[in-house]
Amino acid sequence: MSRLVVRWGRLAGLAFLLAPLAGAQEPAAQPPLSEAVQKELGSVQDLLARGTAEFEGSQQSRSIVVFDEIVTRLEAVRRQGTLPPRGREILAQAFELRGRAYYNIGLQEKAADSFRSLVQLSPQYGISREKVSPKVVDYFNSIKKALVGYIAVSTKPPGARVSLNGEFLSLTDFFPLEVLAGEYTVEIVRDGYQTETRSLSIASRATETLQVELKRTLASAFFITEPAAVDIFVDGQQRATTAGALSPELIPVVRAKGLEPSRASARTEVANLSLGSHVVEFRKKCHETVRKTIEVLEPRDYDTEPLRMEESLASLRLRSDPPGARIFVDGEALGVTPKEIEGVCSGKHRIEVKHASGKFLQDVVLEKNESVTIDCPIRPSLAFLGVVAESAAAEGAQSDADEKIVQNLSKITSLNFLVAPRETVDRILDAERLTRKSLIPGAGTDPDLLRKVTEKMAAALEVQGFLIASLPEEKLRRTASLHLLAAGNTVADRWNVTFTEAASYLRFNEMVNQHATVYRPWTGLVTVDTLLHEGVPVLRVVPGSPAAQAGLQPGEILVAVDGKPVKQTADFLSAISQKKAKDRAALLFRGASGTRSVELIIAQTPQEIPLNEPSLLYNKVMMDLRQQVEGYPGSEAAAYARLNLAICAMHFGDYAAAHEHLLKAKSELPQRPGISQGTALYYLGVALERLGYKKEALDAYRGAAAAKDATLFNNDGPAVAALASRRAAS
Amino acid sequence: MTRGILLAVALAAASFASAQTSPDQQARGLLDDGRTYLKEGKLKQALDNFNTIVSGFSATDSVDDALLEIGRYQMEVEKNPDKAREAFEQVAKRFPQSDGAPGAYFYLGMLTLARTAAAAEIEDALAQFARVQRLYPGSEWVPKALYASATAHRKAGRFQEAVEAGRRVFLEYPNSDAAPAAHFEVGHVLALMGEPRPAMEEYQQIRNRFRGSEWAPRALDRITALYRLYGSPKPSFAADSSYSIGAGDILKDVRALLMTPAGTLWIASDKVKSVVPYGAEGKMGASVPGVDLGSLALAPGGDLLASARLGVRVGPRDIRSFAIPTDKPGVPEPLERIQAAVMTPAGSMLVADGKKKHIYRFDPRQQYQGLFPDGNERDVTRMTVDGEGGIVVLDQGTRSVQVFDESGRLLRSIPTRGAGYELHRPVDVAVDPCRNLYLADREAGILVFSPQGQLLIALSGPELRRPTALTLDPSGAVLVYDEKAERVLRYK
Repeated sequence: MSRLVVRWGRLAGLAFLLAPLAGAQEPAAQPPLSEAVQKELGSVQDLLARGTAEFEGSQQSRSIVVFDEIVTRLEAVRRQGTLPPRGREILAQAFELRGRAYYNIGLQEKAADSFRSLVQLSPQYGISREKVSPKVVDYFNSIKKALVGYIAVSTKPPGARVSLNGEFLSLTDFFPLEVLAGEYTVEIVRDGYQTETRSLSIASRATETLQVELKRTLASAFFITEPAAVDIFVDGQQRATTAGALSPELIPVVRAKGLEPSRASARTEVANLSLGSHVVEFRKKCHETVRKTIEVLEPRDYDTEPLRMEESLASLRLRSDPPGARIFVDGEALGVTPKEIEGVCSGKHRIEVKHASGKFLQDVVLEKNESVTIDCPIRPSLAFLGVVAESAAAEGAQSDADEKIVQNLSKITSLNFLVAPRETVDRILDAERLTRKSLIPGAGTDPDLLRKVTEKMAAALEVQGFLIASLPEEKLRRTASLHLLAAGNTVADRWNVTFTEAASYLRFNEMVNQHATVYRPWTGLVTVDTLLHEGVPVLRVVPGSPAAQAGLQPGEILVAVDGKPVKQTADFLSAISQKKAKDRAALLFRGASGTRSVELIIAQTPQEIPLNEPSLLYNKVMMDLRQQVEGYPGSEAAAYARLNLAICAMHFGDYAAAHEHLLKAKSELPQRPGISQGTALYYLGVALERLGYKKEALDAYRGAAAAKDATLFNNDGPAVAALASRRAAS
Repeated sequence: MTRGILLAVALAAASFASAQTSPDQQARGLLDDGRTYLKEGKLKQALDNFNTIVSGFSATDSVDDALLEIGRYQMEVEKNPDKAREAFEQVAKRFPQSDGAPGAYFYLGMLTLARTAAAAEIEDALAQFARVQRLYPGSEWVPKALYASATAHRKAGRFQEAVEAGRRVFLEYPNSDAAPAAHFEVGHVLALMGEPRPAMEEYQQIRNRFRGSEWAPRALDRITALYRLYGSPKPSFAADSSYSIGAGDILKDVRALLMTPAGTLWIASDKVKSVVPYGAEGKMGASVPGVDLGSLALAPGGDLLASARLGVRVGPRDIRSFAIPTDKPGVPEPLERIQAAVMTPAGSMLVADGKKKHIYRFDPRQQYQGLFPDGNERDVTRMTVDGEGGIVVLDQGTRSVQVFDESGRLLRSIPTRGAGYELHRPVDVAVDPCRNLYLADREAGILVFSPQGQLLIALSGPELRRPTALTLDPSGAVLVYDEKAERVLRYK
């Protein structure tokens, strides 16, 4: 290492101009400011604005007092060693303006003091001739020249940090920089190299130059990958990412190793490797991770063998119920279900399948070449809108209730439970001048407005229902009322819980998790209990049913299903209820001529939702039914769901909504025995009658009365015609 | 403790508690306690609580409920319809906006319905039930009122309306307390309409959906009875060889049998001069003495009516004799050869006399009301009241059975001869709740007729030699006394 000292006075002006640039090379980590310093800075900033205004006004001399105060206050902070860069800037500006103010009123000594303080604070400070009188600038520069000298440092290799008396100056190599004349200890530090220290005396107006060759202590490794943009981890820490294009001279080397040069990265350095063994991992999305070990024996550069990364892809096959749902993989739209997606990167992915009636969400981890099929049951989503207090006294429990409710309702499995973003909800409610309380039954909100708002919120939040909790006025503050409201409906189901007790939510969660279906398993075998037989006699066989197809006859005695004895009809119904359509059931009958076995293939019958069933949360039922209607438009299932939506609306006394559904159901339902058009007509008559349209109701009842084979409840239920006739007559 | 002391204690307790609780809360506490007492069978304590609310907390919101409970107590426990009506009317008039008001209208309708089968009164009851639906559409009493409407329509003979009202209960309120009752009512009406298979399906709904309800075992009995008659192309009865009841002299000279809804079999034996009960499990209970016994019947309230030659025993202690006016004013003539007696739902007593060959009607105070159904002579040896209030009369003189309504209008009859049968010596008659009629004939055996008068089956066989009395158990099994075998046979 050699030391070269050069006089470089001619270049001083150029160095002056470059100084701020050189200083900017080292991003200094700033310690966090204390609250007091922050406050003080804010205050002096205001003072500076005031002082500057005074300075630029007609009575410039008045500004001096203000700048004095700034100087006093910031010097106090500086003495404590806590003056941040911004504080230094303000102080420097205060010195400059005070100096100029003194100069302008003819107090040059005072002006000189201020400029001197300015240069001592910031030796590289300059005053622009473009904005300030050349006389003042010359005066400032004359003072500055008497105080500063210059230093220039270059290293081999460059990029070393240079500090003077422990204070960072710049990174090498740099042109001469202005520093206060004086004695300095110069420290030159670069990672991977030995730290160098020099003592230096800088005279005013003189330039000192240091040229230092650094001694290497750590190694560097160089990597080329195909493709580029591979993250390189050394001993678990990410150290570099390959990038750029391969330089021409390396093309033959890379090609010789079997890589495609046009796809290869530039030679990428990982510096500062200590001597010893290192584990290097190459990671890139959609590629297999490669792990290598390199041995660093001495502090030098190592070129590693160019590396080709192998692609790691998998395929996804997504099906949903209902189909036609939009697919998003990691937020990227990839078509609609059902779909097979090839070339999905291996690794962890978030699969979202969205439908108007709900969504499916799952995180999956795909292995290379794996083909994964995912059935995506679409579940309605329920947005939690928060907790409202029904009295001032209850407000104190809101936050606790909110936390407990979210915690416990997150256990719901049949719905996607999510907490609605407050701002979105507030924006929609505010637009209609509503509050969360307006959504609770009894708030007196106009039903049409409520319907509109819930539909708006549902669209914005991509949900199908809402849950809002209210805390009633109660001494113990334990009860929360949960209000479940389907989008587009106007009356919420209410359920009380003791919000602090997990057990209190079980029944509610259980009820929410019940899935409303429009079908149930069906045999068409109607049996009765008697005291006359060991089993249950067949009373009726519904024409066209699985039982009829199996040739069963009234009078036969059913004694067992799937090997289990049937002592009463409930045993038989229970066994069948656990089956699905197309399942088989082995029935054993006893008759006059002995026993016989019959295998039935289970069918399904549509069924009505009971009009008033305390164990149902009708809003949840509506969410399930809407899924059928929106998921399978034009299907029979959708038509039955529509009929049941009407029944739900009637449950809430919303006969107008029921009427709307029934008009559609009437045209969508089949004309055949069982639940059919006649059923819809009967309920249409009921709705019209309740709405006061007697003539139209009569027409509907007459239509229902003409549907001789239509039934209520299910395909085995009572005939509509007789009931409709009576209603028409009355 | 007298009611006055209780009231004082309750008021003292109330004033002590008032430092901490409001009168409304105290009254609610008393009401809850009273209802708990009712459930526990502590009826008097319950009534005291309710009375305390009415007298001591008259300004609270529990008064209507208390009055309602008092009315129910009077109706169901004291059997005092007038006092019950008074309480219900207070609720309806003083608290028309209260929760109790629809209940009051409901019970007022029920009281009217229980009083008579007269068309005007049924309409009155229906109006009360309609008021519940119209004025209190969201009330829990609506399904009960609908169910009661179904019953009222049935009583008026309007079966279609009854079915509609009943179906509305389980259509619109499928999980209300009234739903199983409504299924039962609809099943019953369908059976009366001659539609036994839909009736069985309706009863079965109770078995499927309300297994734990009090209606489920009753539904099982009804289905069994109907299935036996209508489940197969031909009714099927089988002699139960394992059946055995009674022994010794009790089974000698048996004049009548009667099975109660609870399953107790009463055997009227002139040999032991008693009517002897056997419980459902076969144990003999306390007998009722009687000489020259005739027929047995059940009063509407459930009391046993045992006819003897000179009088009728009503329940265990009440013995009534009857006299009819003669040409001499103030000198009535006692009935001395009573063969049968029944009490109508309205409380009239019909007494058949073998000497006069007439049926006489007496009011509840045994005052003579006239001849029933008309002045024609009849040798009536058996009478019974069917589930619809029809008076079933077995006339040995004409060897026929006739059914009249309470006003004496002939509803239907089983003549001496018909398709597939001839009555030779009819001796006893029974009717099941669905109006199927069972007839014992000393020579022809047991004949079963549909409500429309068609012979369904004739039971005979070597074991059945000379039937002289019969009754039905709740599931429609026939119990027959065979005079020659001196035993009770059971056909199930």
